Amino acid sequence: MRYAYYPGCSLHSMETAYDRSVKAVCKHLGVELWEIPDWVCCGASSGHSMGHLVGLAIPAKSLVKAEKEGLDVLAPCAACWQRMVWVNHEINNSPGMKEKISRAIEEEINGTSKIFSIIDFLASFGMDKIAQAVKKPLKGLKVASYYGCYYVKPPKVAHVDDPENPHLMDDLMQALGAEAINWPFKTECCGASMIFQDVDTTVSMSKKVIEMAYKAGADVIVTACPVCEMNLDMRMEQINKKFKTNFKIPVVYFTELMAYAMGSVPQQIGLDSGHCSDVQSLLAKIS
Amino acid sequence: MSSTVNLSAQQREHSDFAERVFKESGVDVLKCYQCGKCSAGCSVHICGGMDVSPNRIMRMVQLGMEEEALRTRTIWACVLCSTCTARCPRDIDIARVMDTLRIMAHKRGITEGFNNASVFHNIFMDSIIKYGRVYEAGLLVALKMKQSGTMFADLPIGIPAMINVAFRLPKLPPKMKNSDQVRRVVENCKKIEGEN
Ligand code: SF4
Ligand code: SF4
Repeated sequence: MRYAYYPGCSLHSMETAYDRSVKAVCKHLGVELWEIPDWVCCGASSGHSMGHLVGLAIPAKSLVKAEKEGLDVLAPCAACWQRMVWVNHEINNSPGMKEKISRAIEEEINGTSKIFSIIDFLASFGMDKIAQAVKKPLKGLKVASYYGCYYVKPPKVAHVDDPENPHLMDDLMQALGAEAINWPFKTECCGASMIFQDVDTTVSMSKKVIEMAYKAGADVIVTACPVCEMNLDMRMEQINKKFKTNFKIPVVYFTELMAYAMGSVPQQIGLDSGHCSDVQSLLAKIS
Repeated sequence: MSSTVNLSAQQREHSDFAERVFKESGVDVLKCYQCGKCSAGCSVHICGGMDVSPNRIMRMVQLGMEEEALRTRTIWACVLCSTCTARCPRDIDIARVMDTLRIMAHKRGITEGFNNASVFHNIFMDSIIKYGRVYEAGLLVALKMKQSGTMFADLPIGIPAMINVAFRLPKLPPKMKNSDQVRRVVENCKKIEGEN
């Protein structure tokens, strides 16, 4: 099995724990990743704010390379993933858009590569297959699966899971032997890139998510988006100070728990140093 | 003294704005019947990040209040989480309308609603046009200088977190074979959009 891999900027910058753990899980499952050569940034929230066409053409520039290679794409960052899914959606639903995007990227694009987020990609293996690959079951670990928004909404475009109560990440955690706790803020927004514009509002939003996971009794919050990860993980001290709370909950990528359960060593996948939150308590629990 | 406003008449008289929004976004804002569900689920609004609630933005578009709508903080503060879109009983893509209004404001150079947001998008675009990918360290410095005139505003993430981040953040710009790809795409888009 061979897939085109689009890591995106965060996975090559601050969030190498996501990059490393995705690659490790794929290796455990026998998936070969072909990193799209010379890929460019997807444009993130700024690209589409500058213009509709430019917001589509920038991610299309990398997507077309996978299409030419005849490969489906794996894009772990939920934000990058959604930008790419929009490209295919608009090519197939907006008359004239295919030609406009093709002209903008100076190559013909047809929207034929399927674009997988890492959640639906791993879920597509089937939970039995995932469970079979587990060497160190995460027995007794209470996990709050945090999906964020970009992976499930808007449902017309991102239609892989239930937009209000998604479950695929919970299923994966259960396949590892962990307990997926039931909690209501699975898709509540963390504030996303607003952190660069209005810190107060963003930490208020992130605080609601952390607080709910805490109240639900989670040992760990797992994420599937670098933006969610950064907002929850990096801002915890700031949140505690501002709201006089005492949250001390580790926030890691769900792929780190998967890679670990499948036999990877924490140091190899960044599970030791790739976070600001209290991963030591997590490691103590699972080792 | 009470006064009565005939909304239907108002909408008919000022439908030009709603029509242009429809042309740009494919979304028919006139379908909105002001139930308020979009605002009730909007986390940014609930946490105080907006000056005007999302349902009121829809009403402003219906009533042709273009100048007012384009000067709200809301159109920039919307993070496009699409929770509103997923829940609207009238099947209106509110997030897409927000994006469209933001683009309209940007094209007219109206940024006073939320200047920090506009500054962020411009710096972000400069970064990827120059390097092809985001150069975070450079972006953060430029951002702090432009938003608050100093490097050290808004950084109270805690000392252990700062140390961890400083350790993880790449110091040098990303390396690519062809870092000119985004610049070309952006220029081509300008040309294509200029034709219409
Ligand atoms: S949810 Fe839809 S119908 Fe209701 S106020 Fe918002 S846009 Fe209007
Ligand atoms: S897309 Fe924008 S308006 Fe809609 S819920 Fe999210 S932040 Fe609010």
